[in-house]
Amino acid sequence: MFFFFVLFAIQESAVSLIHFPIAGFSLYLAVTIALIAYEDHDGSIIMGFLAGIVLDLSPTSNGPFGQWALILTLVGYVFASNRESIFDATSAPLTFVLLIAFGVSASLIFYLFFGLLLGESNGSIGRDLIVIIGNIIWTIIFTPIFLPLLRAFQKATTASRQSK
Amino acid sequence: MARGSGNRSRLLLIILLVTSLFLVTLDLRGVSLTKSSRSITQSILAPVQNGVSTVFSPVGRFFSSVKNFGKTKAELDQVKAANNLLKAQLAQAADSKGALAQLKGLLNLAGQGGYKIVPARVIGRGSSASFSQTITIDAGSSDGISVNQTVISQNGLIGVVKTVTSNSAIILLISDPSFKVGVRIARSQSVGVLLGQGNSQYQLELLDPTGTIENGDVLVTNGSQGNRPFVPGVPVGQVSSVDHTNSSLTQTAIVRSYANLNDLGVVSVIISAPSVAPKNPISPTPQPTITVLVTPTPTPSPSLSASPTPTPHKSKA
Repeated sequence: MFFFFVLFAIQESAVSLIHFPIAGFSLYLAVTIALIAYEDHDGSIIMGFLAGIVLDLSPTSNGPFGQWALILTLVGYVFASNRESIFDATSAPLTFVLLIAFGVSASLIFYLFFGLLLGESNGSIGRDLIVIIGNIIWTIIFTPIFLPLLRAFQKATTASRQSK
Repeated sequence: MARGSGNRSRLLLIILLVTSLFLVTLDLRGVSLTKSSRSITQSILAPVQNGVSTVFSPVGRFFSSVKNFGKTKAELDQVKAANNLLKAQLAQAADSKGALAQLKGLLNLAGQGGYKIVPARVIGRGSSASFSQTITIDAGSSDGISVNQTVISQNGLIGVVKTVTSNSAIILLISDPSFKVGVRIARSQSVGVLLGQGNSQYQLELLDPTGTIENGDVLVTNGSQGNRPFVPGVPVGQVSSVDHTNSSLTQTAIVRSYANLNDLGVVSVIISAPSVAPKNPISPTPQPTITVLVTPTPTPSPSLSASPTPTPHKSKA
């Protein structure tokens, strides 16, 4: 949970300041999806929920509190249901990067869809598509940079958990 | 064994989904717990954003420069010419203190003209994951800022205060899809509504069916009751193209904002509007009427009383 808070602070205070040429990049979502992919069956669902709760704390969010928790819990379940395929993908870096990009875009689409059900105004379809496509592009570009670091962090935490 | 694990996962999923939906319901019903949690997060994040933005803003500007590279190259010659002129002017300046004094003078002049403002630095921007267009500034309720106040940059309207903590505030930008502002066309005084589109262009919908919009029309805010959320007379933008194909009763147009929302460094929150709203026609101050009352008296020396002027002092001979 603390890790998500730190990640959230980095996203809100540093990454959000960058004016990306196409839409933006959500480091928070990319890292969360990667961690969900690394986790075991129930771990994915719980991690999705916790990451969603922290993201719901965002003061700039226009959705109701709990919306991201709902979306990322569902994404966690989708990853948990396809554990074997996901596990194969984590061992191939390029496939894994594409999987993370897919996870990020799926989260954003779920978010938009749920927002639509709640009557939120999220702009034109064209603009939303640009945001999603932009996020996919930047996720593919930036994920290989932080993925080795994340992998090392995940191994360290797993080892720590097993030693307990 | 695997079946048991699958059932446990489903049970866990249902519990977490129900919890999430419960939180969403609480928020939509306006329970203060969820609202205050975001407010607390903003209070905690603001100092971090403040510190990080100082260090990180050059990186952000770098990406912004890359984004505007084509435009920047085209403007380079103009900038060079202006730079030479500025160099000559700069040589005349004694030092930076002198320039600061001039700037203060300009600010005072602006203050005399109208709005009472609180300047603030932009310390954060809304996450791209939320689809909302917001910025965070380093001034809050302790500086006199409250919700639903107009926010301007040096070029005009940029948004409205959405939430406030003691040391920071979140501004909903004019580009946000949920943003709406009443505007007036300066040329014809026709009133319309400007809608955010999620990008740098906005849609103008004229309310007056007989009104017309022309390319280049200048828009200013129409003002709200009690000057909240919008004070009147703030420049908003210029009509860039008129939609002639629209079959609706009123005209629509695309508007380009005066303010560049990608390059906001310092903004100002209008905390009080001028006593005379710019939307009202300026009328001349009425001259005081002097009434002279003459009371005829039967005495040979008639007395003259003028009210309210004081009795003239009679000097003794």
